[in-house]
This record gives sequence, C-alpha cells and structure tokens, in this order.
Amino acid sequence: MTAGAVTGRRLPDGWGVLVLPLVAFLLVVFVYPLVSMLARSVSDPEPGLGNYAAFFDSPVYTNVLVNTFVIAGLVTLVTLLLGFPYAYLMTLATPFWRGVLMAAVLVPFWTSLLVRTFAWVLILRDTGVVNDVLGAFGGQPVPLLRNLAGVLIGMVQVMLPFAVLPIYATMRGIDRRLLQAAEGLGARPAFAFWRVYAPLTLPGVAAATLLVFVSSLGFYVTPALLGGPKNVMIGELIVQQLSGVLRWGFASALAVILLVVTGVLLLLAARVVDLRRMIGGGR
Amino acid sequence: MSRRGLILAVTGLLALTACGGGHAASGDGKQLTVVMWGGDDQKKAVAAYVEPWAKAKGVMVKQDSPTDYAKFRAQVESKKVSWGAVEVEPNFAVTACKNGWAVKLDPAKVDTSQVKKELVGECAAPLLEYAFTMAYNTKAYSAENHPKTWAEFFDTEKFPGKRGFWKYATGAMFEAALLADGVPADRLYPLDIDRAFKKLDTIKKDIVFYETGEQQQQLVSSGEVPLIQAWNGRIFAAAKDGQPVANEWNQHLLSYDQVVIPAGYRDTALAQEWLNNFLADAKGQADYANQSAYAPVNAKALQYVNPDVRRELPTEHEDQRAAIVDYTYWAEHYDEVTERLNEWMAQ
Repeated sequence: MTAGAVTGRRLPDGWGVLVLPLVAFLLVVFVYPLVSMLARSVSDPEPGLGNYAAFFDSPVYTNVLVNTFVIAGLVTLVTLLLGFPYAYLMTLATPFWRGVLMAAVLVPFWTSLLVRTFAWVLILRDTGVVNDVLGAFGGQPVPLLRNLAGVLIGMVQVMLPFAVLPIYATMRGIDRRLLQAAEGLGARPAFAFWRVYAPLTLPGVAAATLLVFVSSLGFYVTPALLGGPKNVMIGELIVQQLSGVLRWGFASALAVILLVVTGVLLLLAARVVDLRRMIGGGR
Repeated sequence: MSRRGLILAVTGLLALTACGGGHAASGDGKQLTVVMWGGDDQKKAVAAYVEPWAKAKGVMVKQDSPTDYAKFRAQVESKKVSWGAVEVEPNFAVTACKNGWAVKLDPAKVDTSQVKKELVGECAAPLLEYAFTMAYNTKAYSAENHPKTWAEFFDTEKFPGKRGFWKYATGAMFEAALLADGVPADRLYPLDIDRAFKKLDTIKKDIVFYETGEQQQQLVSSGEVPLIQAWNGRIFAAAKDGQPVANEWNQHLLSYDQVVIPAGYRDTALAQEWLNNFLADAKGQADYANQSAYAPVNAKALQYVNPDVRRELPTEHEDQRAAIVDYTYWAEHYDEVTERLNEWMAQ
C-alpha cells in the first residue's frame, strides 16, 4: 500500500502557487459577493440589525425557514429511499439494462426544470392523468398538487440523479466477493448485505445526503408551481423580496440566515457522523 | 498533449476571445436592447413594432428577457446599463422614477399626446393595455349563467367551484374583493386592505393562486378552477386554441404595461427615438394587438385591428370598466401589502 505514503508526503515547494488562480477566482465570485451581501443585510435600508429583527418578529418568516428545512429533509429521505435500491439494481444489471437505468435517471436531468415542473402539473392536477385513472376505478380525486405531496414529488424527481450517481459510484467499487465470503462464513444473505455491504456504501450515501439536502434548500420554481401557499420555501421569499418589492437588505438577511442555519446544521451533523472520513474516502 | 499542440490550442483560444471582443466593439452601427417578459409575446412584439423601425433606421435590435427589477436596479446602481427600453409594471416605473433609476420623459423627444393621459408616468409611456377580467370555463358555466359582477364572483354558493387569483399583491384581487363588498368603483383607492382581506376570507378555502400566465390558462381550461381573475389576452389565446374559456368583461379592472429607459443607458437618445416612434406607430401596434389581444395604446391603431380581435380588447369594453388600477397607490404600498398577503396566505 503506497497510497498512504503518497498522501503523507509534502509536495515540493513552489507547487502551491498552482492553487492561486482558484483562490483568486473564489475571492472574486464567491467571497466578495458573500461579504457584500452580509454588509447589505446590516446596512440597507439603515445600519443595524433591523432586517434580522423583522425576520424574527414575524412568525410567517420563521415558519418559512422551518418549512424549508423540513421539506429539504423529507426530500432527502425519500430520495435516498428510492435512490439506494435503484443504484444497487444498477450494479446488478447487465450492461444494457444498466445503460437503460442510467438514461432513465439522466434524461430528465437534462430537461429544462420549468418544462418538467409543468409536466408534473398536468399529471398531478385534479383532472390530470393520475386522478383520471383513479376516477376510472371509482376513486375520489386525490389532491396531489398545491400541497406538500406535489412539492415532494417534483423535488424528489429533480434530486434523484444527485443521490443515484454518488451511491452507484461507491457501490461499483465494492468487491462483491466480500458478500460471498460473509455467506461462506455462515451469514444469511440479508445479514451479509446489511453488515458487510451496506456499511461500505456509506461514503456514497453521505455524499448523496449532503448534495440532495443542501441543493433542496435553495429550491424556488418547483415549490412555487407545485406547492400551495403553505409550502412556501425561503428561495421564493428571497426572490419576492429581491425582484418584487426590492427590499434588498431584507433579502440579504434572509440569505444570510439560510446560510448560517445550514452551516450550523452541517456542523452538528459532522459531530454525529465523521463526514470527513466518509467523504474523503476513508478506506 | 505535445508542447506544440498546447501552444496551438492557447493561440486558438486567444484568437477566439479576440474575435468575441472585436465583434462587440465593431458595432459602429447603432444598437438598441429591448427587454420584455419574454416568450412568444416578446417575439411578436419585437417583430411588430421594433424590427420595422430598426430596419428603416439601420439599428441593430438586441433582446433580453424577462424583465427583472433586481437586475434593472443592479445595472443602474453599478453604472453598467445594458438594457435600453424595458417593459415594466407601472408601480415599478413609479418607484424607479422616484429613485432616479429611470430617465424622465422629455416631451420634446417623446410625444405622448396620442395616448391616454392616465397611462403616462413621469418616466414611463404605456406599451399596451390589458384587463383583469372574470374568466370562466364554458363547460362549467354558460354565457348566460356565470358571475357577471365581482359580488357574484365571490358568491360560492350560487356559483360553486374554485376561484383563481394571481398570487401577487398587484394582481387586482384586493380591488376585486372591495368591489364585491360594495365599495363604489370611484372610491376604491386608497384601498381598504382590512376590508378586502375580510372579503377574501369568505372564499379563502376555494382560492387557488397562480404564478404564471400558462398556469392561468391550464387552471381554467381544464375546469379545475372554473372561475378565475385573468388577463384578457391569455383567455383570448386559450379560446382561440379551442379551449372552453371566455372573458366576462363587466366590472373589469384595466391595467397596462409601460416602457422605461434605465438611467445611464449609453444610447438614451436612440431608445427615446424608438419610444416616440412606437407611440405613433398605429400599424405596428395593431399588428401586435391582432396576435395577442392586448390593446394598442394609440387609439388610431384600432382601425387596423381585425373585428374579431377588437371585440376582445379592453378598448371595446370601456363602458364596462370598473376602474384603472392605480399604480401610484401600489408603488407606495406594495411592500406593506405584500407582507400582509404573505401572512394571510400562510394562515
């Protein structure tokens, strides 16, 4: 095993310069906007913490924030529950079927978000395909649109590739002979899967969880079109404040609050599970 | 990659970059950037009344879409204005004018004498008129039996079914609620928002809010929301496509879009020249009206509009108009009412 030796060795002096373009890039397009946003949140329309006070004064805004995290959490959960078996199926399928499965995840991923969302409206509405079929069997229309169900369905579909791809990539690197070995030592197949195979997939699952959860927090179009007035997410509120009523200070404060709360949650999560080891490929 | 290959690639890239830069800079000819809401409507509008003028004047037309007030403000504040003539809602025009983000109309350069005075702002000239009508699904309700007043529109016992409204404060739902509650049309403004919410409360469980024009068409065409406060042009377009929908014009609220020129645009004079030309361009306006059922702002255009389209324009129904939406009111109260609307919706 020379891998440990390589990572342990320091690079020769001078190569560190190569990172400078990236640092400069991030300073200009990430750090500077972030700082100016932070500055605006405490200076517009007047210096002070007025924007933050306005946020915490109103139950509406705090509800939207909580709602955002609840929706992102639910989306992450459902996406993982669907994505994990799907990725596993891909590792078992023949190359042809693996290609088909991969295409089924990726093709929607390449389609315009707006088009997909409108397609969901047509499918899910009271007079849509799903409810027409239910109606043909004598069922009452099930409300699937302008509520949490609609938001979840729409968002999970968008997020699925972000879960399937990292999990599949991890699974592909797992030696299936380990399962045979476990069974050879007397483990039943289910036991071998959960005790031997599943733990090895954790880096992929952790990466998927992070990607899906963090991306879900910023959703705007999907909840606006598939959700109801009670499923507003913070992204919609930020757009409303930014482009609609032009309260940029308040919009900045909303963005800062989202950033801080997300950061705190991730830190807490990192204390519970060793994220660095999981993602950094702690093999 | 060999060293030579690398050099070639880099040279190629540099050449490409140079071409890109050169192209933008080589525009000796004048160019005007027009910004509207995008989609088919924008294509039709530009073809009807921007391109013909540009062709005659040798101006290159650039387009961007959709109008975004945050981008508008950011361009002006950073003094990098690439938008020339921008379609906006009148409440934003008032705000932009007050804050110095838009160029004031100069009567010597832009002649607004041919359009309705009420639709002209300090910085803005009207682009089109449209109406917030009571639209209905013709399978659910007949031409004889459907709500003909806002009071009936709010009567869910007599006319069962969901009601659609645009989800924004300026979407005329407050005006409709107050008219339904018996406020005389000439005393609508300043709006009694408390009273409007009380009226909206009575049908809250039946309200479906929509975000976009496509959604509006979908909801009423499918019958999911048989009664909807809609934009007349959208309903006209859906009906023309064979959808079972119609406009009820009685008590409609007249609205309009305006054009503003962002302060600091490098060719303000050109934008003004186009705007001046547009206001007098009866044929161009009629051409657009024929395709969109949004009304021209110059009355002379009406004679060139096809009769079947003309019947669907707000200009033909002025006797049935309840009021013109007062965007000066909205410029002042948009934040505050939006905040209350957020609260009300979340309850």
